[in-house]
Amino acid sequence: MTTQFSDTRGDRPSRTAQAREDARLVEETLAGNQLSFQLLVERYSDRLFALTRHYTKNPVEIEDVVQESFLKAFRRLDSFHHQSSFYTWIYRITTNTILDFLKRRGRSPIQVVEDPEVLARPEPTDGFGPAAKLEREEIVEVTHKVLAELPDIFRTVLVMREFDERSYQEIADVLGISIGTVESRLFRARARFRDRLIKDYPEFSPGGDD
Amino acid sequence: MNNPIDFTCAEARPLVPAYLDGELSADRASPLRQHLMECADCRTQTQAHKAQRQWFVPTPDVSVPAGFASRVARRAFQGDTGETPVSTETLAPVLPFLLQMTAAAACLLLVLSGVMRAVDVPTGGELRADDAATMTLEEALDRLEALDGEDGLLAEGLNR
Repeated sequence: MTTQFSDTRGDRPSRTAQAREDARLVEETLAGNQLSFQLLVERYSDRLFALTRHYTKNPVEIEDVVQESFLKAFRRLDSFHHQSSFYTWIYRITTNTILDFLKRRGRSPIQVVEDPEVLARPEPTDGFGPAAKLEREEIVEVTHKVLAELPDIFRTVLVMREFDERSYQEIADVLGISIGTVESRLFRARARFRDRLIKDYPEFSPGGDD
Repeated sequence: MNNPIDFTCAEARPLVPAYLDGELSADRASPLRQHLMECADCRTQTQAHKAQRQWFVPTPDVSVPAGFASRVARRAFQGDTGETPVSTETLAPVLPFLLQMTAAAACLLLVLSGVMRAVDVPTGGELRADDAATMTLEEALDRLEALDGEDGLLAEGLNR
């Protein structure tokens, strides 16, 4: 039967080993092994929950979107030919599911849930950075509200780059666009984010009051 | 403009975000770096880009509900397609509009049926029951033959 493995962020197997395990789990799933598919879901669900959380704060909606993504992946599993990593493939499916979900729901603003975890505040800076007095929860709330106002094509690249720290190549693979397009789209997305931030929260502009 | 070497500020600034992302190739990063060392305005811009990134603070991991993976795997093997059904919640925003349109269509049909009846109903001059009362049998048969076409089946049946 399949091998169990750790799925914590700090203790992932190397990419090559992970790709091999993914390939084996995919093959076993296609052969009818339900547990192998369960292991694939276990391996990536935490990252996909984290990704989806940037688009909706409703736990039920997050779960629905991730579940729908895995079910779509299962249905199309025979079309996965290992040309990209399984994670890139399921990440792409999830991104598309999120975009469909946003279309169905309409662009209602994100509701930020209470976040009990308090991390260190960012260092005070000049420019468009958050003011030092802002709590981390406030930064998250402002950021997500501004993101929710952006067109989806800008929002997706910002989430992938700024939160998920995906490389330009990975973003290009997921969205099916060139690296040059990723670069220019990110540039415009950041400019739009800055403009929207200044418009909605003028107190955070360089010359604004704290 | 204090533009050193190969780059102008206008050329340099679009490259700054990719440079900060570590995604700029060496042949593009090197002249940009040189430009930034010598151009205070662009350094300020670069600082602004760096500061903006602090809005994207890492968020805590989301807890995946217990049993999620086994539930998804079971549903997948049971043939669940993952297509989201159209729920009443999804329809809720358009439901009042649909009801109003249905009511409007019903009213329109009612009015139209009234108009059609008014147009199709023969007037008194076109339909006179006393015509039939004064008609002889032969006249009636002639009328029936005319209505029944060439075969005159109905008239034959009556003649018998």
